[in-house]
Amino acid sequence: MTFALVVVPVVLLLLGFPIFMVLLTGVTVALVFFMHVPLVVMHQNLFGSVNATPLLAVPFFIYAGELMGRGSVAQRLVDFVQGGVGSVRGSLGVTAVGTSAIFGAISGASAATVATIGKVMVPAMRRAGYPETFTAGLITAVGAIDVIIPPSIPMIVYGAAAEESVARLYAAGVIPGLMIAAMLAAYVMWRARRENFGAGERFDLRRFLRAAGRSLWALGAPVIILGGIYGGVFSPTEAAAVACVYAGLVTTLVFRELGWRDIVEAAAATVMFTGQILIIVACAGVFAWLLTVNQVPAAVSAWLQSLNVSAWMLLLAINILLLAVGCFLDPLSAILLLSPLLVPMVKSVGIDTVHFGIVVTVNLAIGLFHPPFGINIFVAQTVLGLKLETIYRGIIPFVILYLIALALITYIPDISLIGVRYLLARG
Amino acid sequence: MIEWTFDRVARVIELTLALAFILAILLNFSNVVGRYLFGVSLLGSDEVQVFIMVGMTFLGAAIVTRRNQHLRMDVLLQFMPAPVRAVLRLAEQLLLATLACFVLTQSYFYARQIFRIGRTSDMTGIPMWIPHGMVVLGFGLILVIAVWRAVGIARRTPEPIHDGEAKP
Repeated sequence: MTFALVVVPVVLLLLGFPIFMVLLTGVTVALVFFMHVPLVVMHQNLFGSVNATPLLAVPFFIYAGELMGRGSVAQRLVDFVQGGVGSVRGSLGVTAVGTSAIFGAISGASAATVATIGKVMVPAMRRAGYPETFTAGLITAVGAIDVIIPPSIPMIVYGAAAEESVARLYAAGVIPGLMIAAMLAAYVMWRARRENFGAGERFDLRRFLRAAGRSLWALGAPVIILGGIYGGVFSPTEAAAVACVYAGLVTTLVFRELGWRDIVEAAAATVMFTGQILIIVACAGVFAWLLTVNQVPAAVSAWLQSLNVSAWMLLLAINILLLAVGCFLDPLSAILLLSPLLVPMVKSVGIDTVHFGIVVTVNLAIGLFHPPFGINIFVAQTVLGLKLETIYRGIIPFVILYLIALALITYIPDISLIGVRYLLARG
Repeated sequence: MIEWTFDRVARVIELTLALAFILAILLNFSNVVGRYLFGVSLLGSDEVQVFIMVGMTFLGAAIVTRRNQHLRMDVLLQFMPAPVRAVLRLAEQLLLATLACFVLTQSYFYARQIFRIGRTSDMTGIPMWIPHGMVVLGFGLILVIAVWRAVGIARRTPEPIHDGEAKP
């Protein structure tokens, strides 16, 4: 069984086979050669894994981000944030961080944010004389905030895998996301001051108000999404659908940038993304089922209890594991494969599963830009034309910053749980 | 001609799913508006939306296969010599055809069983062979694409490159 569920998938993954095939091959070998169950369980689990209402939020949020990303929303948000922070040293870098945080509250797709924000910010930062390694590192790293600040697609999948409320996870993600954004902004200002680049310009109230007016409709999306969820008005799935309708109306009727053909093409692009992501979710669902029926999670939990491991040691070990896994697997596959193993373990030592969900998300967010294989590195390389070597050199300080944030989030649960206590509507 | 047919079929499926997806969004949105403004909910709306998502997953996966855009970690592959990469590409298509054949068989028997007993969904009464049949159709298309591609690689026929596709 170890051959089917460990050796085969690892070899195929390293040989560059598609991730859904990696998982499907492992489960097929296990079912055909090592288990005595009717083979139809393959179909039942493939279908059952995606026949789940909470997962609807995944394509809905992708579509909302797709619509918002096709028009001038990114440029409007950049102008707004730049208008507000323009006077500080390193203002363009801080603008990239602030805009990504706001964009993250609309879409939740990290690679799309790197491409969308990067296209606007990289040329501006080059013109303003920012060091190329710094720009490359910042833009590649900043997109990871998107999967931590709600709405977050990995949190939806974690919620489904760990049977945890997505609304609670969304409430828990706000403060860690803002904390990381604040740490990145502080680092940008410190580097700009130390290396004497990115001089600020005088604050212009009129310009700021004009930019605020132009971005008002774009800023309405996160207010509706997060306000609706935290206020108990919508479920996360409904909030995602409302965000799609809002994004469609704003980009077609208010900004007049998209036509009906664009609306359908954005939906077609979402179909492609969904096909890429949910086929992995379906195959990972069968994989997770196999682990469960073979009582692997229970065995691991029992083994852990026999070792008498403390919560902090377990979290340290899990962080190392997730950082390593995040370098090779996309966050959704990693969550679906590991949640059945890890959630019973953390429950057995009394760790809150909402707090753990945020720890998992931050770990896998780091994997999105962690050298050598983080997907955002390749997005920055291909879409923004940045050199791989430059990105690798520039990314290191940002990896360290995220690791410091991860340590704080892991060992101070209140950073996550305070949002659950105060943001969600009572009752 | 066959490449053109594959592309047309993929585009038709993609646009059909795109329109169905927009319908799913409007159904969900109508439910929210109906609940708050008129105090009514569209019974079974969730079922329809989820079945559309099932279609997007399995039929969408077939389109992704056609366009060679599945997520993979292919960094190490780039450092391998060209003949090794060619062998791996052929092996990938053969393995994919085998897997698709296996899933197709299991899913077909399941969907046929559901069709025979006439099972319908709880709220809207949609025949359940339809959503289950999407798994059959999706993996059926993947099987055809994989076999065609394997034959092309074996004959060393250059493949068309689609937008966003990684160059072989």
